[in-house]
Amino acid sequence: MPELAIHTQKLTRRFGNLTAVDGMDLQVTAGQFFGFLGPNGAGKSTTIKILTGLLAPTSGSIQLLGVDFAANPVEVKRQIGVVPEGMGLFERLTGSEYLKFVGRMYGLDRATTQSRSEELLEFMQLADRPKTMIADYSHGMQKKLALAAAVIHGPRILFLDEPFEGVDALAAGALKALLARMTERGTTIFLTSHVLEIVERLCSHVAIIHKGRLVAQGSLEELRAGISGEAGSKTTLEQIFLSIVGQDGTGRPQLEELSWLM
Amino acid sequence: MADVTRSAKVLEQIRLVAGLRWRILRNSLRKKNSRFDLIGLILTGVLSGIFVIGLCFAFYAGGYAFLSQGHVEWMAFLFWGIFLFWQIFPIFVTGFGATFEFRTLLRFPLSLRAFYIIGLAYGFADFSALASICWLLSMTAGAVAAKPGVLPAMLLIVALFILLNVTLERLIGSWLERLLARRRTRELFLGLFVLSMVSLNFLNPLMQRYGASAQPLFLRFLPYFAWFPPSLAGRALAAVIRLQPAGFLLSFAALLLYVALFSALLWHRFAAQYRGEELSETAAPARAAVRQVTDKDDGPDRLSLLSPQVAAIVRKEFRYLTRNGFAYLSLLMPPLLILIFSMNSAGWHLTRGGRGVSAEIFFPGMMAYLILILMAPAYNSFAYEGRGIQTYFTAPLRFRDVLLGKNLMLVSVLFVEIVLSMAMLVWRVGLPSAHMLVATCAAIIFTIVGQLTIANWSSISFPRKMEFGRMQGQRQSGMAVLVAFGSQILMGSISAVILFTGKWTGDRWLPAEAFVFLAAAAIGGYFASLDGLTQLAEKKKETLIEALCR
Repeated sequence: MPELAIHTQKLTRRFGNLTAVDGMDLQVTAGQFFGFLGPNGAGKSTTIKILTGLLAPTSGSIQLLGVDFAANPVEVKRQIGVVPEGMGLFERLTGSEYLKFVGRMYGLDRATTQSRSEELLEFMQLADRPKTMIADYSHGMQKKLALAAAVIHGPRILFLDEPFEGVDALAAGALKALLARMTERGTTIFLTSHVLEIVERLCSHVAIIHKGRLVAQGSLEELRAGISGEAGSKTTLEQIFLSIVGQDGTGRPQLEELSWLM
Repeated sequence: MADVTRSAKVLEQIRLVAGLRWRILRNSLRKKNSRFDLIGLILTGVLSGIFVIGLCFAFYAGGYAFLSQGHVEWMAFLFWGIFLFWQIFPIFVTGFGATFEFRTLLRFPLSLRAFYIIGLAYGFADFSALASICWLLSMTAGAVAAKPGVLPAMLLIVALFILLNVTLERLIGSWLERLLARRRTRELFLGLFVLSMVSLNFLNPLMQRYGASAQPLFLRFLPYFAWFPPSLAGRALAAVIRLQPAGFLLSFAALLLYVALFSALLWHRFAAQYRGEELSETAAPARAAVRQVTDKDDGPDRLSLLSPQVAAIVRKEFRYLTRNGFAYLSLLMPPLLILIFSMNSAGWHLTRGGRGVSAEIFFPGMMAYLILILMAPAYNSFAYEGRGIQTYFTAPLRFRDVLLGKNLMLVSVLFVEIVLSMAMLVWRVGLPSAHMLVATCAAIIFTIVGQLTIANWSSISFPRKMEFGRMQGQRQSGMAVLVAFGSQILMGSISAVILFTGKWTGDRWLPAEAFVFLAAAAIGGYFASLDGLTQLAEKKKETLIEALCR
């Protein structure tokens, strides 16, 4: 049986009367490039926050790489890297200072931190502005730096919340290549994105969350097999997504009803 | 094809904008964590009301007295008071924001004229404008009560004076907005502003020394003030009472000229904004021609005694300190304050020291005061973390390391500050007796470490985001302020009781012994609290993240 990188059982999170994540049983095998999809407000970011220790679950359990998160949070965090929602950067540091800070926080020695910081800055094309503070970076540069910080300690699981949002095409290409190489080396990548084409191109496995519940999970082929597309054409992830979640996921009026716009 | 709406009328748009501001205020108060803000707002409202109404009586009395006693030319002083308040108070309260929200209205279909009028109308909603208008009306009522015949002229002058002030206030605001658009300029400006405020404390000793010789110089420049708007308003009124139509027309025309000039300048500024002037938060990107080698960091680790995580946090805190212009400048304050206090109580005798000041009282008193000031930020120590707070929860470390790193940095800064201040004290006032010196040093350790434990709890429980180089909206959480206040009163009371007991029993070394014991207890308590605070941080992490990632 393959090793499970992420395994949740009956994971639930409530905010007052709202159940943002409802009894989620999620299984992600080690080494998978896993896409986590859902409409706005479905519970994607809440799930990723729970899985990375930024939010406590109301009930249920999480095991990452076979280790119980609640019992051994520090040990689990050593194994994971995160690009959280909003990126979690200290804006008054320079890129280099931030990477060194994060490297040391993950327990890397000074020399390793130094050399990895330089390599990552070079790779992300951020090395030519050593004195610039993160507050003065563009959104795309901040995203690249957040990703660099998430991988500096060589995590075995990488959680990415909308990693390509605001990143230019050139940088996105380099990042995708980096992520693909990481999965080849056995890193598990758990990614949320609204751009279904990116997920379709990168991910081998997908889960779809809707109104806090996991409504589909499996490889792209498995999901395609469950959907009847046009004869002879390959079903796209967008078609799969829409058929599972519904036309817009909410039951709101269709565009035709807004006649005054036409 | 979608309908294309007609432009809304300007008055309707002003009404909409006023409604928007009201709803934003109301909605912000509905939030659960703003209840303390609501209490603060009510308290501020009551105090402001007392301030405004109290001064209304004063302006009424002033207007009445000056006119009934024949000192009509003194009315200019009242106009000057209102003018200075109206122009300076908004800078103090709101001048440090990066953006003025009404600019966001530009995305709506507004004409430049409508944009200008709405911009001007915004000026009437400021506290300074509302208060000043109340005072002007009170002044008018006082003047009319003394001489009913001045009502038409007074109304005319006051109306023009209001228009002049609101225009000038908006003009200064828009210039400041442009000047302060860059973060670095904003920080520098803020630092200079705070320093200049502190420097006002030197006025008293300076006046004592140089006041007499500066008086003729001041009197020589006084006539030039006659051509400023408040003096012109006063002169116009005086001309009416003295039945000098030419004098009235001249002063009134000069006031009108000022209004026209300020309006033209304001129109010019608003037109630039209307055309889409971009005021960026960031400096223009300047790409280095040749890639610089990243800074070398292979020297010996000066923090090698600490764990890597704690050392990393200490370094980060130090970098944040050096990049927070305001905090950096505030480090100059303690020695400066000692200089000011010793000068105020002993006169301008820089080289001779503060004679007549007892080191036995001055020394512990000043140390207590410095701790009071320097410990204040510790009660909201995550204020400047912003989204970075998430790193503390995703990294493999216990929260006690974060607290240790932050506290260690603060204690180091306090140590340097206290040593500098002590040196200044010894120079200005001299050393206290040995028992008082030991008692004060032990009391310093007790109050700092004791407060750190409470401050850590406060920082986790009542976090409030703050931004570098901004004063607008930079308020601590109401509860954090209360906790800080309460714990400082507690520490002060304990210290006072101990000092009093020492005096009462006649045992001069008793306070020193008691404070050494308390300092040891505080240190033990501090380390014992770290695990509990770590658990608390885990429990409160959602509150922390939500408050700081806004």
